[in-house]
Amino acid sequence: MNKPANSHAGATPVASACAPGRTFRRRSKCLRNALPYLLVAPAVLYLMLITLYPGVFAVTQSFHEVKFGPWKPVGFANYAKLLGDHQFWGALRNTFVIGSISLVLQCLIALALAFYAYRDPWVKGWRIVFLIPMLFMPSAVAFIYKLAFLDARVIADLLIRLGFIDDNIGFQSSIWLSRGILILADVWQWTPFLFIIFVAALQGQDEEIEEAARLDGASWYAIFWNISLPMMMPVIIVALILRAIDITTMFANVFIITKGGPAFGTETISYFIYRTGFKFFNFGYASAASVVMLFITIVVAQLVVKRAFVSARS
Amino acid sequence: MAKRRGKRRGKRRGESLTLRYAILGAWALFCLMPVLWFLSIGLRPRTEIITPQPIYLPSFSLDAWHMIWEDWPMARYLRNSVAAIIGSVVIDLVLAIPAAYSLSRFEYRGRDDIGFYILSTRMMAPAIVAVPIFFLFRNLGLLDTIWALMLIYAAINLSFVTWIIRSYMLDIPKELEDAAKTDGAGELRILWEIIIPAVLPGIITAAVIAMIFAINEFLFTLLIASTPEAYTMSVALANFTGGSDGIIYNAIALVAFLAFLPVFLVVVAIQKHLSRGLTMGAVKG
Repeated sequence: MNKPANSHAGATPVASACAPGRTFRRRSKCLRNALPYLLVAPAVLYLMLITLYPGVFAVTQSFHEVKFGPWKPVGFANYAKLLGDHQFWGALRNTFVIGSISLVLQCLIALALAFYAYRDPWVKGWRIVFLIPMLFMPSAVAFIYKLAFLDARVIADLLIRLGFIDDNIGFQSSIWLSRGILILADVWQWTPFLFIIFVAALQGQDEEIEEAARLDGASWYAIFWNISLPMMMPVIIVALILRAIDITTMFANVFIITKGGPAFGTETISYFIYRTGFKFFNFGYASAASVVMLFITIVVAQLVVKRAFVSARS
Repeated sequence: MAKRRGKRRGKRRGESLTLRYAILGAWALFCLMPVLWFLSIGLRPRTEIITPQPIYLPSFSLDAWHMIWEDWPMARYLRNSVAAIIGSVVIDLVLAIPAAYSLSRFEYRGRDDIGFYILSTRMMAPAIVAVPIFFLFRNLGLLDTIWALMLIYAAINLSFVTWIIRSYMLDIPKELEDAAKTDGAGELRILWEIIIPAVLPGIITAAVIAMIFAINEFLFTLLIASTPEAYTMSVALANFTGGSDGIIYNAIALVAFLAFLPVFLVVVAIQKHLSRGLTMGAVKG
């Protein structure tokens, strides 16, 4: 790693020299300079193994046709095919549509709930109850939603009993209803994530400012809109980014509930890569899709995430 | 009197308490209904799961309980899960504590870039690295082993474990460290004797959140563990589809419920730190 250029032989036996309990008064200067790098190096090297290595591997593989036999170089053929592949673009669009609807719903619901709960005397109780969905295994949650909507038709039955509809609903055959199931399952399970963060942010705000505004006659929604919300903004952005990362990588629910159907209407990008690579064993093509996603991830990370985390911390 | 009561309930001017409790209560109901449904599925006989008309008041049965222990190697799945998760958390802490110490208590060139690199690995979609990781573990001969799961869970969680611990370390007053330094203690001794005890809540929070993510991990486990030898609970559930019997819902529901209980207890215990942990330290709860 970025060891200072002037480090000499003294840097080698660092591990033993740095055993806890020894004093460093006579330690050489270069060792002192190298210490922070040496402390962070193992974690960085470990992460490089799962990001840099796969990155290089995926880029290499994306220029080959990899099916069952040896790798066959094909130049940019995989990328060219990707550009014209309706299923790939569809998967990108589905990921965006399902993800953004789900994210907006979660954010609004969590904000409303946090707003009503944070000054409530039973806020701890609400927090524990609201937390529960988050703690179930996502694969099991997916099955339970599949059962309720598709296999046992509980939801359709309840709606018929309540008089909303006359006949059974074919959730499975409608793209938007299928997307709706994925969105509902995600909202149910992950709204608490945002709720917990928002409540903490609201509880952490300065009560005196709020009190002063109240004495000036400001209504509670004016206080929320003009004081609390701007104050929470950096936190909201960080929380939404974290949630957006997980939503765009949604896999288990698609794998279990819809299998990407009907008519590829719920196929997310993760499921597209999985299907191409591990069901059709077209690894070169799957890698090309991965590289495109990797590129998008890096751009978004540099433009949005870096800024958001810096501003939330200061 | 009325005024004091209003204040105690955190009531705001012009706000209706009825509306507040209606909204919070409705969401609580929405949270809990599927959970009750889970429990009712787990404790009913198989014949009452998929029927022409849904059965809302099923007869009680421990079919699923007997099935998961007698028909499946559930004990092995459980052991795999526990071993892989504990192993991964240990790897994470061993790597993350020194890294967080370096990122929080030292000034050096490139520090912020290194910190951001660590954070950015959290943004990598599992599907992007799935294909290369699959080949990597195949070449290492680690497919179908819990060692591979341990390594991959550790890698997934390392970024935020580091950032959570870093956030807690940033809060320690510099004076504490300076006092020890004037006594002649070296950096590593300071880390061991002062910093680590002071950030213990942060370390525990990070470990709990890493544990939850590891339990939930699905895609990698699905790819790496292709035989029951290395199945964990999460992927074993997805394979409770006994051929002609269809999906065995009551066993899935019961296992999910049993896995939920310990996680719930642990999370309630660290509730206070949860918001900070979930945002990797960006919110001080």
